[in-house]
Amino acid sequence: MSESVIDVSELTRRFGAKTALLSVTLSMPRGGVYGLVGANGAGKTTLIKHILGLLRAQTGSVRVFGLDPVADPVAVLSRIGYLSEENDVPGWMRVDELIRYSRAFYPAWDDVYAEELRQAFALDPTAKIRNLSKGQKARVGLLIALAHRPDLLVLDEPSSGLDPIVRRDILGAVIRATADEGRTVLFSSHLLGEVEQVADHVTMINEGKIVLSAPLDAIRESHRVDGRVPSLDEIFVARVGMSAAAISEV
Amino acid sequence: MRSPAAAIAWEFRQRHRWGLIALIGYLLVLATIKLVVLARGLPINLDSPESFAFVVLVPLVATFTYFLAVFTFGLDGDFAARQSMYPARMFTQPVTTAALVGWPMLYGTAAMMILWLATRLFALWPSGIEVPWIWPALLGASLLAWTQALTWMPYPLPGLRIMVTVLWLGTIDSIAILALNFKAHESLMLAILAPQIPLAYVVARFAVARARRGEVPDWRGVFASPAKIARLLSRRRDQFSSPESAQAWFEWRRHGRSLPVWVGILLPLELLMLWAAGDATVLVFAILIGVLLTPPFMATFAAAAVSKSSPDASDFYGVTPFIATRPLTSAELVAAKLKMSIWSTAAAWILVLVAIPLALKLSGTSAVMLDRWHRVSEVVGTPRATVVLLLILSACIASTWKQLVQSLYIGLTGRASLIKGTVFLALVFLFLIGPFIQWIVDTRRLGELWSALPLIFAVLVSLKMISAVWILVRLFHSRLVSDRTLVIGAGSWCVAVFALYGVLVWLLDTPHFPHYLLALVAILAVPLARLSAAPLALAWNRHR
Repeated sequence: MSESVIDVSELTRRFGAKTALLSVTLSMPRGGVYGLVGANGAGKTTLIKHILGLLRAQTGSVRVFGLDPVADPVAVLSRIGYLSEENDVPGWMRVDELIRYSRAFYPAWDDVYAEELRQAFALDPTAKIRNLSKGQKARVGLLIALAHRPDLLVLDEPSSGLDPIVRRDILGAVIRATADEGRTVLFSSHLLGEVEQVADHVTMINEGKIVLSAPLDAIRESHRVDGRVPSLDEIFVARVGMSAAAISEV
Repeated sequence: MRSPAAAIAWEFRQRHRWGLIALIGYLLVLATIKLVVLARGLPINLDSPESFAFVVLVPLVATFTYFLAVFTFGLDGDFAARQSMYPARMFTQPVTTAALVGWPMLYGTAAMMILWLATRLFALWPSGIEVPWIWPALLGASLLAWTQALTWMPYPLPGLRIMVTVLWLGTIDSIAILALNFKAHESLMLAILAPQIPLAYVVARFAVARARRGEVPDWRGVFASPAKIARLLSRRRDQFSSPESAQAWFEWRRHGRSLPVWVGILLPLELLMLWAAGDATVLVFAILIGVLLTPPFMATFAAAAVSKSSPDASDFYGVTPFIATRPLTSAELVAAKLKMSIWSTAAAWILVLVAIPLALKLSGTSAVMLDRWHRVSEVVGTPRATVVLLLILSACIASTWKQLVQSLYIGLTGRASLIKGTVFLALVFLFLIGPFIQWIVDTRRLGELWSALPLIFAVLVSLKMISAVWILVRLFHSRLVSDRTLVIGAGSWCVAVFALYGVLVWLLDTPHFPHYLLALVAILAVPLARLSAAPLALAWNRHR
């Protein structure tokens, strides 16, 4: 089995005339928090959908845990926890029904951890999901993604659903705890400040191309100007301004 | 854009310009043919029903159906949903509700009138028939106006829109046909049809006003108590035994209860008529036949929801990430739907089979039925009569399940154009099948049709088997289904076909039904190709 959790090679995806991803090559070793950053429409969700097998590679290849997620969805998806940007958890279910339903799919489901998360997120088990607020729905989605202690946790723009308190106090802690257990987190966001707080490694994507992929500390060091370390925002603006440049590895 | 009227007209024109161009092209061809024929006095006429149907009737019906879809905004919406199908994006426009309703209805009415008047003017009609000018145009416009009103209405239950629309349009249609049968004068037809459009406008305005205020009535709570009782009665499980059982539960909760609920609503209404039937045997039989046909009939409507890959998907037809990321194969996701459809069919039929004897007993019509039963038993023997009765019941039950699952392979593709195209073709077929049967009867071609039946069936069987082989090869290569499942599936299908063939031979052992014809019927009746294609369709949708 491959040492990398995710291996993307020369992946290109077109939707009609629009090129969403162009020759994307990316490798994520086991463990750590990987921030995938880029402007809206840069191709982050398209890349994540390929990793989940929701999109089939037109050219190039995608391997997750060494497997093709389209050919072998069960083996791949049973090891992934995923919080969708759309947060499409079925509204007709109650929270306890969703937990009962979800646990059937994951042999590693941890009931104690699920209950801890439910209490931490202050979720009423009898509440119907359609009656929850947007933030509460995002918490439910996060609970389901985390409770089976996945080898790979994929969070697609989680900040768009979570309220500031959960974002600041819980999300960061959960992500760090997951990574500290030796598991891998792929965290996509266009809010670079948040990624900067939790990520070990940052991949910047712009107009379907990876413009920078490196450990966060190395990025900071390489962009140090007169002893001052610029923020990820500043680095992103500087890099995207040079997006015509070839894929860069610091 | 100078006004809301112009903006709405622009949207219709811009979105449907190719359809419009095709329609104008067709009318121009009709007009040219007619001008040439008239100018040169060519001996061409459309007295032949085939040529008339091909040149006039089919394009007219197809365009009528297309207009229904266009002017109701039906190409964008979900027909089975509770929410109004009027596009919500237009509710925020600084325009009165009257304008939002009035302009699309006006354009639709004008389009229907022009369609009929142009066809009436340009087509070559069979000689000796007085083709009216006004009332068919009004009938088309009325049907469209009511379709608009009923599709824009928010409904308290999912699927209710389909039932109400079908019943109401059917009623208007029946009144028009009845009037024609009694040779009603055109002025009477106008008196019946003309008020329909303003009436529909009032209903549509009320509907859009409610939808604009976000008012969607919800009667699902009415069924909450029976659902709660059902939950209490069923074994409360702390956990599912497998991912497959969890998914089957999901499907049941999502779609499974629709069919039994609809059957449960209709059954008392139908069976109440037994009290009025008294000793009228024919009427009792007619009511019971209607009751037996209710589950398969309602299953055609329930199937629209079942075959959707995911009812919560934002694009109506796609698979939501929630479902697509379940760690199950596409075949297992389809299997959960099939399992749910079996439960749904069983629940609907338990209701029917409990309600019928109860209603017969309470209404006092059971004596009539028992008397008939004894008479039939005397003629054919009790065992044969029992088997025939059981076969009829089995056929109805199997037909219900088949209705639920046979369109899965289309719905699960998630391709809106494919799904809407199929619905469009089905509607055109439904519009044409009646006149076609009438034509067969009128022209005394039943004998020819009977002679051609083996050939027609043989062609259909060939198509089915070629499709099935292609699908099985694709399933084998895609590894969506295990080899064992493929072999078991093929074996089960063969067993079912042989069993049905045996029953048909036993039942219809006369020279009128040659055995090879019965074999062809058995092969056609047992689902194979379309059912096998469902996992491929879902995989195509899930991994785009």
